Amino acid sequence: MPDIPHLTEEEIFQCAAAMPVFERAHYLDAACQNDPALRKRVESLLLSHESEGFMDTPISPAIQAEIERLKPEDVGDFIGQYKLLQEIGHGGFGTVWMVEQHQPVRRRVALKVVKLGMDTKEVIARFDQERQALALMDHPNIARVFDAGMTPSGRPYFVMELVRGTKLTEFCDEQNLSMIQRLELFIRICRAVHHAHQKGIIHRDLKPSNILVGMTDGVPDPKVIDFGVAKATQSRLTEHSLFTEIGQIVGTPLYMSPEQAETTALDIDTRSDVYSLGILLYELLTGSTPFGREVIENNSIETIRRIIKTTEPKRPSTALGTLGDDALRTIAQHRHIEAPRLIGALKRDLDWIVMRAIEKDRNRRYDSASALAEDIARHLRAEPVVARPPTLG
Amino acid sequence: MARTKLSPQNHGHTIQATMLVHDAWMRLVDDDGVSFENRAHFFSAAAEAMRRILVESAIRRLSKKRGEGAEHVDVSEVEIIAPSGTDDELLAVHDSLERLAAVDRGKADLVKLRYFAGITIEETAALLNISIPTANRYWTYARAWLHQDILEARRKNN
Repeated sequence: MPDIPHLTEEEIFQCAAAMPVFERAHYLDAACQNDPALRKRVESLLLSHESEGFMDTPISPAIQAEIERLKPEDVGDFIGQYKLLQEIGHGGFGTVWMVEQHQPVRRRVALKVVKLGMDTKEVIARFDQERQALALMDHPNIARVFDAGMTPSGRPYFVMELVRGTKLTEFCDEQNLSMIQRLELFIRICRAVHHAHQKGIIHRDLKPSNILVGMTDGVPDPKVIDFGVAKATQSRLTEHSLFTEIGQIVGTPLYMSPEQAETTALDIDTRSDVYSLGILLYELLTGSTPFGREVIENNSIETIRRIIKTTEPKRPSTALGTLGDDALRTIAQHRHIEAPRLIGALKRDLDWIVMRAIEKDRNRRYDSASALAEDIARHLRAEPVVARPPTLG
Repeated sequence: MARTKLSPQNHGHTIQATMLVHDAWMRLVDDDGVSFENRAHFFSAAAEAMRRILVESAIRRLSKKRGEGAEHVDVSEVEIIAPSGTDDELLAVHDSLERLAAVDRGKADLVKLRYFAGITIEETAALLNISIPTANRYWTYARAWLHQDILEARRKNN
């Protein structure tokens, strides 16, 4: 009899199970010599192994398919022709992946998978309406959107230029950009948005995370992302659009214009983006938006809507004046300026420019992103600005 | 002998699959209010939720059946072996799986993913960070182990 090293019950079972039934007895003779209990146990297991039907189909194929449908994407998966390489972003909206494309050119692009809970066909149909216009946009500070489609699990996705950068507000604070540097950067963003407007595209969701800034040759290089995405995925400001099924905030209404906050929100034009740019400018200068996150977190949709439509925001210099000394000092430090001088720098021109951009009545706003940029440029050249003191605030 | 054989489709028959998974989904969310960071997290959460739901609905159906005065069900060895996907089997595996987990956590995890959520052997192997042949061997052994364990438990109860 061949010498068989001491094996565990499981090892003997596995060996026996892998061999033809008629060879098993002979093998067990050798493997379980002098241990009848072990042999009996392995024989029982082998009998169970041969039992048919046990644990075969507990889950109905329908449930299996549903779980398969809900499963999140993972590295190595293909979505259409795109191979998922690495997750680069994650949030209430869904997930952004760095993917590899092979046709028509081999390159890396970004692919954004929208969270469950949206009507995929509707999203893709809305995107298709804008496809032609999106293709005509060509601006160094706008990330190109190439494609949209449906994942195997039925979720909508968008394919866009891969942008490496930090979200606008974080970039400015990390780099401690001065007021002048911030304004110069902001002017470039306004001009990019204006280019899109001239091609007939409204962004509808301008906010810091949709403006990524990287460094190119030591110079800040902003890219506005997600053009065409917001229109396709956003509906109205409702519980449904603001929160996912599981209560996470999807969009932020902090940058949303009063006309977007209307329950119908059908009549949106380029001045809605001007408003969002105004809120962005407010934040770049003062460190916060006129209505803070606590307003969003502590109020009903109805109240949030009413605040956006009717509550007059404080002027930027007034808002800073209400802060404690420590908070103000931190904000000033990030802008290379002393606290008292920061408030002084905002008074008059910059207060007026910001307040004009975020007028509730769009007829009183700058009529274009480029007009907003021009007024800031006038201020930087120490020329008189077009904006006048607001009547309120 | 009373036959309690149910068709495998029976689980999907009384409760719509989508509703069931949706129910599972909502429970996961109620429990910890999280979204899923990755696929491993999602699958293990889905398997746990499906296990709970399938067990509860199996208990409900069985007690209803008994309440309606169905003839006494003699669960013999043959009975456990033959029909697949019955409520009896599901409950027996559920019980036995806890005993397996006590001695071999990895194999119990694998069974939970495969049996209660129907996750493929390839996916399961990737999730547990083992090779596909190893996953297959785990399954083979665990299935035989559970079968023996269930028979033993029945013997003790009779």
